[in-house]
Amino acid sequence: MLIRKLARWGKAGEDAALVLLLGAMILLASSQIVMRNMFDSGFIWADESLRLMVLWLALAGSVAASRADKHISINVLSRFLPATGQLLARVVTNLFTTGVCGLLAYHSWRFVAESREYEDTLLGGQPAWWFQVVLPVAFALMCWRYLCFLLADSYRLVRRKPAPKQVPLP
Amino acid sequence: MIVTGLILGLLALFGAPLFAIIAASAMWAYYREDIDVSAIAIEFFSIAEMPVLLAIPLFTFAGYLLSESQAPSRLVRLTQALLGWMPGGLAIVSLAACAFFTAFTGASGVTIIALGAILFPALAQAGYGDKFNLGLVTSAGSLGLLFAPSLPLILYGIVAQVPIDSLFRAGILPGMLMLIMLAGYSLWVNRGTSQPLSQFSWQEVRGALRESVWELPLPVVVLGGIYSGYFAVSEAAAVTALYALIVEVFILREIPLKRVPDIMRESMLLVGGILVILGVSLASTNIMIDSGVPQRLLEWVSSFVTGQASFLILLLLFLLVLGAILDIFSALVLVVPLILPVALEYGIEPVHLGIVFLAAMQLGYLTPPVGLNLFIASYRFEKPITEVYAATFPFLVILLLSVVIITFWPALSLVFL
Repeated sequence: MLIRKLARWGKAGEDAALVLLLGAMILLASSQIVMRNMFDSGFIWADESLRLMVLWLALAGSVAASRADKHISINVLSRFLPATGQLLARVVTNLFTTGVCGLLAYHSWRFVAESREYEDTLLGGQPAWWFQVVLPVAFALMCWRYLCFLLADSYRLVRRKPAPKQVPLP
Repeated sequence: MIVTGLILGLLALFGAPLFAIIAASAMWAYYREDIDVSAIAIEFFSIAEMPVLLAIPLFTFAGYLLSESQAPSRLVRLTQALLGWMPGGLAIVSLAACAFFTAFTGASGVTIIALGAILFPALAQAGYGDKFNLGLVTSAGSLGLLFAPSLPLILYGIVAQVPIDSLFRAGILPGMLMLIMLAGYSLWVNRGTSQPLSQFSWQEVRGALRESVWELPLPVVVLGGIYSGYFAVSEAAAVTALYALIVEVFILREIPLKRVPDIMRESMLLVGGILVILGVSLASTNIMIDSGVPQRLLEWVSSFVTGQASFLILLLLFLLVLGAILDIFSALVLVVPLILPVALEYGIEPVHLGIVFLAAMQLGYLTPPVGLNLFIASYRFEKPITEVYAATFPFLVILLLSVVIITFWPALSLVFL
């Protein structure tokens, strides 16, 4: 029950982030063109905010892609395996991806902490870490997703349950 | 070092996400070179320092929107009205419409889904063979990669630091060559059977134009804006996204407002998937360049390749293999920074390299075992994958021939620069 609720909230949160970021990006980028051509002006901070939005959008999209395990992969070998072998391959690759995302989250957290310590700034004086903190957050969320895949697949492997179907993820 | 590489390679072949593989290899390299591993976050953050990247989410979203509306069928009707009078008309219509649509939607396989559903039954009705249709629609879905404003062209410009508008100009003739060669093949195969689809009729042209009056300004403004230098690429992308949103949702009302968040989400999954690979590749590329991988690659290559021609042969073989195992976006961000310095040594223009790279990678969409379009077509038209392999094969051969011509005739790419 709790898992389903978390899954709904999580998806709503992702959707809200993606829609707000993309919507804001379209409006801001278009209004820049109008401003430049009609009034020969524009917001000074617009270009920098747009570039930061691309980074956030990339990370939000990446977190959303991990929900459905839709990241780009090669995966040519596992289709030749029997069902148990496929499940085992998934357990191993999910373990690997969970670990890598965890490391990415940890090291980007250290990067943010450092930038905070040195009081780096962006957008004319705002603390840079406000904008950088999305990195560890996004990688931690992806780590969590792949951990869920890992647990679900291991459970199926131990219980000899059939190949995985799409399940709601928190 | 070699063992690590092998393990990572195996994990990739068993389906671990590519971004995780690349991130792991970058972190491992940092660790070995005694560099603080948190540098990977600094490299990743430099995504926020590339203004052109803005074009990628905006064009992708616009492409998804257009493919969800009735725009594909209007495009087919208009192309039919303009080209349908030719012998073998519908085959040419299919090729032209697919190329145009792919250029605008960023080569992500949506073309087969959006246009294939219209073209496949229409081709059968016009009396073309089933096998021919399957091959035609599958291979046409990757045409148009070389035309502005396709995402791979933009991404190559970003990675290789080449002006994107010169890439847009360079792609025109090579893209046309592919189109013409496939059209010629289609005419030749159906020389006995194919009849003109219809008489040319001004009335039909007018009708088709009137129907697509809202979409017509889009290519004019975008391509005109980019080629004339009036718009930067990212500005053209913003105009496209906003215009497509207003037209399809508010004016034509073909997409209910409720659907828009879903379309945004769908399209951003792809963008997130591409950009996260770009982010971690920035780190892995940097460490590889720092530790002299391009130089070693050059030394290795020059130990058995002397002239430009033999280098191009080797490059082509390499790209064909690469295209068969890696998707175009990952290949671009991973491989271009390493082979560009080597290619420069052999006197190859960066712009020409880009066109060769994309043209060769385009074949990767159609090469067994992992060609993306083969799977999409197999899924979409409910045909066994082996049947799709066989049907696509002759088209693959024609395209391969065109790629060889593009590779060894640089002037074709460079004439408009």
